[in-house]
Amino acid sequence: MGKKRTTSGEGRERQRLPARRFRIAAPRADSADGGSFFFPLLGLTDRGFSDCPDLKMSRVTTALGGSVLTGRTMHCHLDAPANAISVCRDAAQVVVAGRSIFKIYAIEEEQFVEKLNLRVGRKPSLNLSCADVVWHQMDENLLATAATNGVVVTWNLGRPSRNKQDQLFTEHKRTVNKVCFHPTEAHVLLSGSQDGFMKCFDLRRKDSVSTFSGEATEAGQGRWASLPVAQRCILRILHSFAHGLMRDAESRANEAQESWGCPDYPLGLCSGPQAGQSESVRDVQFSIRDYFTFASTFENGNVQLWDIRRPDRCERMFTAHNGPVFCCDWHPEDRGWLATGGRDKMVKVWDMTTHRAKEMHCVQTIASVARVKWRPECRHHLATCSMMVDHNIYVWDVRRPFVPAAMFEEHRDVTTGIAWRHPHDPSFLLSGSKDSSLCQHLFRDASQPVERANPEGLCYGLFGDLAFAAKESLVAAESGRKPYTGDRRHPIFFKRKLDPAEPFAGLASSALSVFETEPGGGGMRWFVDTAERYALAGRPLAELCDHNAKVARELGRNQVAQTWTMLRIIYCSPGLVPTANLNHSVGKGGSCGLPLMNSFNLKDMAPGLGSETRLDRSKGDTRSDTVLLDSSATLITNEDNEETEGSDVPADYLLGDVEGEEDELYLLDPEHTHPEEPECVLPQEAFPLRHEIVDTPPGPEHLQDKADSPHVSGSEADVASLAPVDSSFSLLSVSHALYDSRLPPDFFSVLVRDMLHFYAEQGDVQMAVSVLIILGERVRKDIDEQTQEHWYTSYIDLLQRFRLWNVSNEVVKLSTSRAVSCLNQASTTLHVNCSHCKRPMSNRGWVCDRCHRCASMCAVCHHVVKGLFVWCQGCSHGGHLQHIMKWLEGSSHCPAGCGHLCEYS
Amino acid sequence: MREAVLTWCVPLELLCSHPLPVSAFLKTQVKLYTYRACAGKDEMGKMVSVINTVDTSHEDMIHDAQMDYYGTRLATCSSDRSVKIFDVRNGGQILIADLRGHEGPVWQVAWAHPMYGNILASCSYDRKVIIWREENGTWEKSHEHAGHDSSVNSVCWAPHDYGLILACGSSDGAISLLTYTGEGQWEVKKINNAHTIGCNAVSWAPAVVPGSLIDQPSGQKPNYIKRFASGGCDNLIKLWKEEEDGQWKEEQKLEAHSDWVRDVAWAPSIGLPTSTIASCSQDGRVFIWTCDDASGNTWSPKLLHKFNDVVWHVSWSITANILAVSGGDNKVTLWKESVDGQWVCISDVNKGQGSVSASVTEGQQNEQ
Repeated sequence: MGKKRTTSGEGRERQRLPARRFRIAAPRADSADGGSFFFPLLGLTDRGFSDCPDLKMSRVTTALGGSVLTGRTMHCHLDAPANAISVCRDAAQVVVAGRSIFKIYAIEEEQFVEKLNLRVGRKPSLNLSCADVVWHQMDENLLATAATNGVVVTWNLGRPSRNKQDQLFTEHKRTVNKVCFHPTEAHVLLSGSQDGFMKCFDLRRKDSVSTFSGEATEAGQGRWASLPVAQRCILRILHSFAHGLMRDAESRANEAQESWGCPDYPLGLCSGPQAGQSESVRDVQFSIRDYFTFASTFENGNVQLWDIRRPDRCERMFTAHNGPVFCCDWHPEDRGWLATGGRDKMVKVWDMTTHRAKEMHCVQTIASVARVKWRPECRHHLATCSMMVDHNIYVWDVRRPFVPAAMFEEHRDVTTGIAWRHPHDPSFLLSGSKDSSLCQHLFRDASQPVERANPEGLCYGLFGDLAFAAKESLVAAESGRKPYTGDRRHPIFFKRKLDPAEPFAGLASSALSVFETEPGGGGMRWFVDTAERYALAGRPLAELCDHNAKVARELGRNQVAQTWTMLRIIYCSPGLVPTANLNHSVGKGGSCGLPLMNSFNLKDMAPGLGSETRLDRSKGDTRSDTVLLDSSATLITNEDNEETEGSDVPADYLLGDVEGEEDELYLLDPEHTHPEEPECVLPQEAFPLRHEIVDTPPGPEHLQDKADSPHVSGSEADVASLAPVDSSFSLLSVSHALYDSRLPPDFFSVLVRDMLHFYAEQGDVQMAVSVLIILGERVRKDIDEQTQEHWYTSYIDLLQRFRLWNVSNEVVKLSTSRAVSCLNQASTTLHVNCSHCKRPMSNRGWVCDRCHRCASMCAVCHHVVKGLFVWCQGCSHGGHLQHIMKWLEGSSHCPAGCGHLCEYS
Repeated sequence: MREAVLTWCVPLELLCSHPLPVSAFLKTQVKLYTYRACAGKDEMGKMVSVINTVDTSHEDMIHDAQMDYYGTRLATCSSDRSVKIFDVRNGGQILIADLRGHEGPVWQVAWAHPMYGNILASCSYDRKVIIWREENGTWEKSHEHAGHDSSVNSVCWAPHDYGLILACGSSDGAISLLTYTGEGQWEVKKINNAHTIGCNAVSWAPAVVPGSLIDQPSGQKPNYIKRFASGGCDNLIKLWKEEEDGQWKEEQKLEAHSDWVRDVAWAPSIGLPTSTIASCSQDGRVFIWTCDDASGNTWSPKLLHKFNDVVWHVSWSITANILAVSGGDNKVTLWKESVDGQWVCISDVNKGQGSVSASVTEGQQNEQ
């Protein structure tokens, strides 16, 4: 398929060709240098060289073909679970090998098509039970498999017969875990086995060329290597004879083991002479760059680096993982990078170029790592799969070790083999799984956990501060491992600078900020201050209101301060109104009261404070409140001449400055529907009212009268509507008016109720509860119990959050709601111990369960003391406080008769 | 006369948008910044100042930050698998604990009510929920819940009145409820298939007692109706209610979002017994759901705003009158309901621009 499309992709590919060619050519140069050492060793002839030009050419062609890979995410069902997969170099075929499957599939655009079943013969031998399979990267016809019984088989697809089996190497005594072709040398095959040996085969010979022992001690391995070849053969035969049975057993055991999902250790079969000493080999990989080098990984956590010319000892060895190292992979481009994956759930990337292997990256996965494969063309990406628990395939950016860059979730069982479809194409990944399926994954279709992850944290703190953690701008792609050193000067809160081309290019980090806010913005400092400073009881209502108004004003909460002032006026002032003038006012009719007082207040302000007052007012400054408060006093002393100015000032004010609410008041007032009227009316009405305020308490009968007036209900509605719009100023004026019209406090209850609801709704439950406590019975009946309770509990909860225990207790104590006031009792426990046996008393009664005696008897009256108990510290006798006091007045001896001379002071 | 509406600004945005070299006081990369907006002589202007900076030292993205009940400690969790606890009293930030135990990115943390001790729950991509407890100053893993088949995305403690109950929402679509039964034992109830594809957020309703407390004989536990809201990948918000037999039943299905619901937040109930829920979604929209009737059956949505990017979080202020919204554009906005029932943004950056220069200079002074 790939080849067919060569032409179409050629143009594009040509531009990149030099680089590719160089990359591919590089190892060849190596081989040319080192060839003189290596080829004699393997007994290669000139034929090896004659292959080279061809190979180079075909490789390039493949690369050309690779650029036009097309396909989609797809999967096909296999007959049996797969153990390993390998891709042909043309990227158009894949071989799947397993315990009972060995097939080649063609990867077509829409589907996998079975091309060849290599499992032939009536009675499949254990040789066909594959643990691993590898397709030669240069020869399309050459395959090698590793069998669970220790046999390494090569397959030649070019054979005309049905059975494509080419060679059979039965040198390993136990399962062969891995086979690996030399990346550039056509006939070199490497195998690694559970028996602890790695063997290098030349495919033109019948047996291995060299054996490498994973055994750590050089002595033993030297002895083995130094044996004459003939002897070695004999030994080998003997071994194979001795382990003939074992092999069978082992492959079966392996089967069981893997189906249980814990193939980490080779069970109890390590009884062979070598098995006990050498560690099982889990993976072998030829270095892509260094002609002679290969890496092997072991179950004890070691990684060894070998020179293929020197079977006697490894070049280098280091412990890479805690527990078995299941896999390794050389970086396709970076010469010294080796990725290893282990049972410790980690993938580590090592730099092998330095003298000592240096850990460069460490990726933590969720489950043990069974396979690791670098992603082509993406320097920092690698794909992993696990051998148990987790069925997904992950692609990691090694610089971002905690979150996978991409995730493929197609498989329903453990993924056993992964392979990138083409060595230069980063988007196609093939995988085989225990769930008997073969999948092609498109990187584009991968789920990206990073994208699903929430990049921001947000929390509203108690004090109105806001904690906000957000993703930082990402680092440049090549900044190395340590993301936080160096002074990157980006302000933290700049927008994400994600490169859309490669979303995982960089590292991620977050900035965490805490914002603090102030009243109006949601800060809560006012709450604490207010709670601490408010007076809720112990003084006359007027004083409480004044105090609280003062507190509120000092905290800059003018509206609240106004409310307190209003409350004071509503509930405390009536005592000042003279009875005589009451009648007068009533006689005038309620309709006059309202506009009258508006003008009255304004007029008063104007002469008193001049233009300054207005400025203050518009600013919402606190001073205007005090002015208003004092207004009654000022009014009393004011002379008539000031009154004359009044006609101008209020008109000016009302028309020019006032907001809609006050206009509405006028409109609703029947007498002021004619705009020309007010100037005449206002001064007249205002004058007598001044004297009304002087000094007489209102008679209750008048209050009753007034409450029924139709006008009153109209203005009441107005006032109620004013409350929620912060129009404290006009509201206050209106209150004066209403009050002066002899309205009973009862009348305001609806208004106050609405006001409390308003505050509560605004989140200021503190105000609601404070007013509720201070006004007590005056408003309680107007607000249903449930709401009150709700306010109380909310407020108490808030107080406790702010650790204002004292205030909270005070509120609980002062609350009139039974459910609330019993809160303190519910959370208070008294533990009583018996005074005789010192053990805890049972809950009820005064008799100890254990010693059956009454606790704390009074020594004088011989009754149980249920209240205060006073006792002598000398003889520990005591009783009722009164009794003991009385007793000791007359006698200095202990009332219990113990002879002790007690003293009471 | 209305009180002057105070302008409000997100301080950090201001700093970043300012041409002055901000890096002058951003010394290293990941820091904890504290900003204080303080009211000066002029109430209209707000000033911003850097108070302190401390490194959170998380090695990857932070997914959640939660303050405790008293507002003194801040817990953060990150992709780097760790949960960290900072003491943030008095503007300082001291690392108290670095909790490691998760094997995947930790998505969310939640503080339990302090009456049960210092308890923190965290949930992770590794399918586990871990409950951490502080004893004698050291934080230890107290319980590990591994009952989910997929990433656990959200944890939320029930109001303390109910006891120690934790709701966990997972990508496997289930919501599990862990109830502490004493002596280190946790009872698990699971609502399977609560949200198809996955559950992204859970949030408890505040404890409100049906009927008056007064009717309850003293000493007997009031009969709470436990409710919580969950948001999921099926674009739905679901309300769950505990039946009398202890089973959880879907009570309501709120439908308005056109993409994954990312967060739901039930407003604290302070003030009137109206229930309010805020929800945000992948589709960039934030809805405010309100329910006025006592039965809790009719919920009406109101669109707060449509953002251009994914909205990740919504968070209510403690008095439930301000909603903080954080979106994919890395911005936080604060919203407040105006008198006429409209939600207005009170943290518009442009409004506060006038005070920027003052704030930056002050910040630098503080730095010195």
